[in-house]
Amino acid sequence: MNIYHPKASAWLWLFGMMVISILGSQALTKDWLETSFLSLLPATEQNPEIAKAIKQHNEMMARKVIWLTGAATSQAALAQAQQLRMQLQQSGLFDRIVLEFSAQNYLESYQQLFSFRYQLLDPNTKQTLTQNPKSLIAQNLEILYSPIGQIQSSDLERDPLLLFSRYFNSLNPVKLNVEQGVVILHDEQKYWVVLLTDLQENSSKLEKLEALLELAGNARIQVEASGGDLLVSGVPLFTAAGSQSANQEISIVGIGSSAGIVLLMLLTFRSPRPLLLSFLAIGCGMFSALVLSVLFFGKINIITLVFGASLIGVADDYAVHFFCDSFGSEDWNPRRGLRYILPGLFIGLLTHLFSYAGLGFSPFPGLQEMAFFSAIGLLVAWLTVVMLFPVLLTGFKPEHEPKILKLTDYWQQRWPSWLLKNRRWLSVVMAVFIIGGIWQLTPRDDVRLLQSPPPELLNMADKIKKLFPLSQDNQFFLVSGNGQSDWYHNEQQLLRRLEVLKHQHALKYYQGISNYWPIEASQRENYQLLKKSFYESGLLKQYMTDLGFGDAAFNAELKRFLASENESIDLPEWLKEADESRRQLWLGCDSGHCLSIVSLTGISDLSALAGLQNLQGVSLVDPASDLSALFKRYRIRASWLLAGAYSLVFIGLGLKFGWRNGLAIISAPVIAALVSLAMTGWFDQLFSLFNLFALLLVLGIGIDDAVFFFMAKDKRASTSLAVTLSAITTLLAFGLLAISSTEIVHAFGFTIAVGILTALMCAPLIGFRDYKVRNVKL
Amino acid sequence: MTDFLKALFLFLLSFNQSYAADVITQITAHLAKTEITQGDFQQEKRLKILRKPLISTGKFTYHQTKGVIWKTLTPVASLLLVNDTRLLTTQGEQAVPSAFGKVFNAMLGGDLDQLSDGFSMSGSDQETSWKIELKPKDELLKKIINSIVLSGDNELRLLEIHEAGGNITLINFAKITHPGQLTPEQEAEFEHLSP
Repeated sequence: MNIYHPKASAWLWLFGMMVISILGSQALTKDWLETSFLSLLPATEQNPEIAKAIKQHNEMMARKVIWLTGAATSQAALAQAQQLRMQLQQSGLFDRIVLEFSAQNYLESYQQLFSFRYQLLDPNTKQTLTQNPKSLIAQNLEILYSPIGQIQSSDLERDPLLLFSRYFNSLNPVKLNVEQGVVILHDEQKYWVVLLTDLQENSSKLEKLEALLELAGNARIQVEASGGDLLVSGVPLFTAAGSQSANQEISIVGIGSSAGIVLLMLLTFRSPRPLLLSFLAIGCGMFSALVLSVLFFGKINIITLVFGASLIGVADDYAVHFFCDSFGSEDWNPRRGLRYILPGLFIGLLTHLFSYAGLGFSPFPGLQEMAFFSAIGLLVAWLTVVMLFPVLLTGFKPEHEPKILKLTDYWQQRWPSWLLKNRRWLSVVMAVFIIGGIWQLTPRDDVRLLQSPPPELLNMADKIKKLFPLSQDNQFFLVSGNGQSDWYHNEQQLLRRLEVLKHQHALKYYQGISNYWPIEASQRENYQLLKKSFYESGLLKQYMTDLGFGDAAFNAELKRFLASENESIDLPEWLKEADESRRQLWLGCDSGHCLSIVSLTGISDLSALAGLQNLQGVSLVDPASDLSALFKRYRIRASWLLAGAYSLVFIGLGLKFGWRNGLAIISAPVIAALVSLAMTGWFDQLFSLFNLFALLLVLGIGIDDAVFFFMAKDKRASTSLAVTLSAITTLLAFGLLAISSTEIVHAFGFTIAVGILTALMCAPLIGFRDYKVRNVKL
Repeated sequence: MTDFLKALFLFLLSFNQSYAADVITQITAHLAKTEITQGDFQQEKRLKILRKPLISTGKFTYHQTKGVIWKTLTPVASLLLVNDTRLLTTQGEQAVPSAFGKVFNAMLGGDLDQLSDGFSMSGSDQETSWKIELKPKDELLKKIINSIVLSGDNELRLLEIHEAGGNITLINFAKITHPGQLTPEQEAEFEHLSP
């Protein structure tokens, strides 16, 4: 490679950075930060229908926040809820805040549907009519004679069989307690008032989420100050809490590794120039990574930035090697230095890019983003070092011999010889340690480990779930059919089976629209059923006469019944009258293919539900376990990917340096990876797909260290300094990931930290014998 | 999420602080207040559309903390259990708000003050008898119920519910006693109401 035009390279670099800055000035003015963790996950591998349903479900859930104010009396709880509503309104964060449910809408829907009372029979009534019409009379008498029958029997004149009151009652399987239009729940100690809110569209913006968290916190303090209690839950809160901790982690990782770099650079070089140049390289790398990632992906996830922050430590390595080389020879100058380290830098960069390509190969949008971000960041940092440093380092030559150089030189001589001297028992101990640790590895593929919400938030969500019987579970059934009637029969079949399971306590409730809206053919059937069982059998006449209806009333009812023979209500018309939670169950028909959701609440036996999937057109959607299964498959696939990557790198090294040397170099990252795995096993750390991706990075870093030692020849002293310094900075960066509250990020950091440390311990062995042989000859 | 609209159709009441007129306080003072009240009832529902009233009889039990057992014996046997938070009938849990349980409790327990938030009250108090008229304040409830009239002496004797549509329900109470404790059968029935 021609590197003899430092000025031209520097100009070229400057031009490139200007282009990126101009791009950046456009890209970064839009809304470029993604906070939703769901976008990091791959779409499930099932058919697009299910993916679409899940997406729809997620989008709906992403805006819902539920609030419960609790107090000793319902009145006090209501007062607090009203206060809270005002606060929420003032915040301007919400599209919809529901405390009272409008009676007007309710009455309208009642009136609209009332005229279809002969067609809209609920499943129970239908069953009673089919099996034993007389027991319907007994049930009606109980209602009519009860002291509270006023409401049910208020339409007795127009509906003597109370058909519509039955239907309307069945629309709501869950009995909620409503006072003054407000839903009031209760447990042993407290009354709770429910307030439902929808955040505004595009509410995933970071500022809005932060505002939401702050609002929830303040509201809680206020309610508690007045002696009450506040529970809040909803997907946005979990997202907000996640973003907040990600933000903190970015600053800890960023500040921690920067501080480490500043300290090490100043101590080692005693000059501000290397420090400033390092930050120039890192800064340009990170900035370009950010700009190009946003351009490429449209938006960049906050978790990517957490990993991005850890890149600081790796991006710094190239600069460190350059500077440290200046200690290597008396007549050092930047050009000569570059010529000497360039091959090592180049192989290092290639291996890193290669490992990132491995990450990008995964189906996880999140990992693809991280891989792209890191690759660009490293590439630009590398280019900055190679293209710009020769010019900017002109005249740089440290006069002193830093203490740390002596230390690392001592270490690189003594440590390998100690290792070699004790290799017999050491290799046995290592073998036992590695085998024992790997033996104990237990994979955990639970997708929920991706997010570790604060326990307080989880407690509140649990409590709300217990109090509020309508909280749906995450699992649901998806029912499809070719055309409405096919769909209807499939769903009905499922609902009948669910009813049985409900009685067996496998779940508490389920909701499917076909139980509330019979298809037109069924509506006709219902009508005919009534006709046969009551209107033509004489049973109606007998029932009405016994109750005390006059002949006129009976004739009027008969006339009404006959007049509505051809009535029917179609699904769109019915959905218009249905409330929101019902409308959301219908996903519509697309070129004759119809889809609906059957929602589930209080599942206690998931496997019984899973057993219903053999029904026609029915699939159980369980996003969390689907994803966990996907994680598992990819963990196995990634193991092969990892083995493949190590082998490919080995082949590359073998071709370049000879097979023996190749084997020596690759052994550093291999041992590092094995020790990482073993440590994960011994310390019972989370082992999942993500550890394997971490090992890909260990490959890059381990090769870096090993290649530099391999090529060091007589410059082993300065090389050991460079390798140690870069290991420390990298360790700081990735090691700091280990403090993350998110288990997976933590495991990632842990794996890399152990890997780097082990690679560092192995690296001086490489080329050590040749060095000793040479030195002895001298 | 607006699933609970159903319950709206039912009573939308609220009760809490007492703000009753003096007369209510006086009447309340007459009423026997014990932990347990039980007796017979005869209920007569006069529905405009029906040519004869629906008459039912049975037994009731009121317990200060546990709620009310309303046991219809004729013409159709049925059981209704109600407390502040739940309402159970032979046909299962009903979507009737706790407010209803409170009305029941307040009337049978002689704690009329509780009702002043949901109803405007007026009454008359003579030496041996009293009468109170309750008119609902809630708009939706007004569409169903015109007024509730209670009358009695040292016990509640008659309850009249005048519906907006002209239907009337009369409930007569008789053989009222205040036993010291519940029978095992009553205990068992209240047990159904405990969550």
